[in-house]
Amino acid sequence: MKAPATFRYGRDYEIVQRLRPEPMTERELNAQSLIEGLDFEIFQHKAGMVALEGKETTMRLGASTAMRWGDVAFGIYTARGDLAVCATGIYHHAVLSQLPVKYIVKHWRDDPSVGLAEGDSFFFNDPFYGGVHNADMGLVIPVFSEGEPVCFIGAAVHTGECGGSEPGGMVNGAKSRYDEGLLVPPIKIGANFLLKEDILAMLSNMTRDPRTMMLDIKARLAACRIAERRVKEIIAEKGSDFYVGALRKILQMTGEAARKKVARINDGVYRQPRFMDTTGPDDALLKINLTVIKKGDKIKLCFDGSSPAIPDRPINSYFQGILGLAMVYFCGWFCHDLPANNGLLEAVEWEFPEDSFVNAKGDMPVSYAPATQVAFAQGMFMCGARMIYALEPARAVGSWYSGFAVTPFGGFNQWGEPVADITPEINATGAGARPDMDGVDAAGAFFATMSDCGDVESMEADRPFVYLFRNFFNNSYGHGKFRGGSGVGYGVMVHGVPWLAIGGMGFGTRFPSTLGLFGGRASPPVFVQCVHGSDMKSLLATGSAGLPHNMGDLYQDAPLESGQRTLGHVSSPPQLYGEGDTLYVPIMGGAGYGDVLERDPERVMADLKRNMVTPWAAEHVYKVACDRDCRRFDPEKTRALRNEARGERKRAGKPYAEFMVEWSKLRPSPETLRYYGAYPDPAGRDAASAAGGVAS
Amino acid sequence: MKVRITEYLDIDLAAEKWCCHSCGVELADASLNYKHGCLVAEVEMAKAHPPLTDSGFSFTPDPDFCRLLEFYCPACGTTLENEYLPPGHPVTHEIELDIPALKARHGVL
Repeated sequence: MKAPATFRYGRDYEIVQRLRPEPMTERELNAQSLIEGLDFEIFQHKAGMVALEGKETTMRLGASTAMRWGDVAFGIYTARGDLAVCATGIYHHAVLSQLPVKYIVKHWRDDPSVGLAEGDSFFFNDPFYGGVHNADMGLVIPVFSEGEPVCFIGAAVHTGECGGSEPGGMVNGAKSRYDEGLLVPPIKIGANFLLKEDILAMLSNMTRDPRTMMLDIKARLAACRIAERRVKEIIAEKGSDFYVGALRKILQMTGEAARKKVARINDGVYRQPRFMDTTGPDDALLKINLTVIKKGDKIKLCFDGSSPAIPDRPINSYFQGILGLAMVYFCGWFCHDLPANNGLLEAVEWEFPEDSFVNAKGDMPVSYAPATQVAFAQGMFMCGARMIYALEPARAVGSWYSGFAVTPFGGFNQWGEPVADITPEINATGAGARPDMDGVDAAGAFFATMSDCGDVESMEADRPFVYLFRNFFNNSYGHGKFRGGSGVGYGVMVHGVPWLAIGGMGFGTRFPSTLGLFGGRASPPVFVQCVHGSDMKSLLATGSAGLPHNMGDLYQDAPLESGQRTLGHVSSPPQLYGEGDTLYVPIMGGAGYGDVLERDPERVMADLKRNMVTPWAAEHVYKVACDRDCRRFDPEKTRALRNEARGERKRAGKPYAEFMVEWSKLRPSPETLRYYGAYPDPAGRDAASAAGGVAS
Repeated sequence: MKVRITEYLDIDLAAEKWCCHSCGVELADASLNYKHGCLVAEVEMAKAHPPLTDSGFSFTPDPDFCRLLEFYCPACGTTLENEYLPPGHPVTHEIELDIPALKARHGVL
């Protein structure tokens, strides 16, 4: 493994530590006296609208699945690189997208061979600086006033293909970072308002889908140029000193407000171990040992006791990526009423162990880092719910589905064009249940809340798929007093091309990815079904009755479809599918909230009528009695069933100490634990440490 | 004086005890994991997440990776919390509050 480089061309380990706002410059400090309350309010609104317009423009002009459906962060950065204003639901970019900008300021601004001038544009995708994975790419431009840089404007978007050894941006079999495709630190790709065609030719030559690559780059740039115009209008009206000072004031105000909000939480230690069941190519157990220490106006995230790093598996994450996903909770939920920027980190501290898969080093692959990051993020939501309930119960929400189950693919489309991307259903997961309502069905992605999954017809227009179905799946969510929002199941048939490579990225086939809250149940595990040599095409041609119309149907009856049927882990390397082969993927629902026996029977009955709960779950989980034929609700029998179930709990439950005698003798098989570290505490301490450092 | 901590848990500040919010029964010292005062059961996975296939891939967690524990109020039988854990993994002490600070916040000395 390569050690941190100590010469100027190596990765910059110093810059990635600079996640919090830079110290205030003299110009920013002097400008504070210019900023009055009302002017500042108007400025914030205008700057926010500039960013929002930039986000929308990027989406309208882009080509990749993620860009078209909203996986976009558009921001205005200070002249030193801090993100002050951001329009996004991809909140991890609120702290991650600043790193490439700070890199440009540190390395290129004063370098005579690169420099920084009006009309420049810079591109980047090295996940070390973006913190997520290679498929996340960005473009940033400097904005000048009176010959001085006053800010940067940038767009960070997931472009679904980055030239790795497998298509679709995420490399299941990556052994090192050199298997994962483009690794571009911030480089100048344009000057004098012109993109450099030689650089574009190089970038397009290094990915499978050059058309999408180029359109996405140009979409980012076009949106940045429009935003640059708007910013200059503000500067023309208010002056550049006001502008520079106001950007800084937003950051400062955000940090102060975040600390005040944190101070309201009860002091204490909150814990949520997160268990993952894959390294990418292997079924194996891993642990993220999240401990959240809240004291005064600071929250500290600790990861001691997490599983060790795996040098040749893509499940590792850079620490900065983990912190990025923490911002999904902070920006989207806890500090939902504050600007999304890295000023929020003034209230957050962190501590990562040196040898851990949540703190990747050197040449370790990180293609699957998004899975590790969302696994952590769900732990953050669960700790957050326990922290916040005492203050604002309505914001103590169950987790949205977080197992990814995304489908990368690559090949040629039906028009003969190269295509490599991911399917968009990741943006149709169910929301977690809440203290006062069920989770929203097919709500979106918790880390990309302004995205959606688009239309089937749009996908079919330039992707070689025919959708067999895509709709709610009534076994997709966690049960509870309030249930998680339903996810979706979809089936596709490869169509119009001789072959297509299709893989899978996610976790939660062996161990559920999405856990419930306050007694609510987890979303079920997921797996993928594929049928090679399928006769689906002829079944469709003959209008066969009895084909599955949803994921529930698929597993309820004996299949009509024949061929070589395989069920497998949601995480899998790409394999070739021939024309007519089919693939069925569930994108699951949200976590349940509260005791299942407290669910209002009328809600269960309403779900039954809409086929949003299975009759099995209504009877066996919720203990709701109704007539099987006419589905008439029986309140008396329901009450009796529920009383009986509560009584059974008291009969079957053992006192804690007695239960632990037998429980503590169990352990997973050595095969399952081969990447885990010492069991139960990967750091090799005693069992009490695994429980949270308190003797049981 | 009781303060609400979660959907199903209160802390009695004067007695420094975790209590069930549904029925009020005392569970454990507030300085300990409230689960020490609960009844605990391992729930059969097929009863929580029924298999929809005969394969090892079935919408049911793999028992070598994951088990489901539920923590019940010993008095009223409410499920106060659950945990999905690898077999034998210690139960999590998920909320460890600074009790003196909590009492001070609520003016209980």
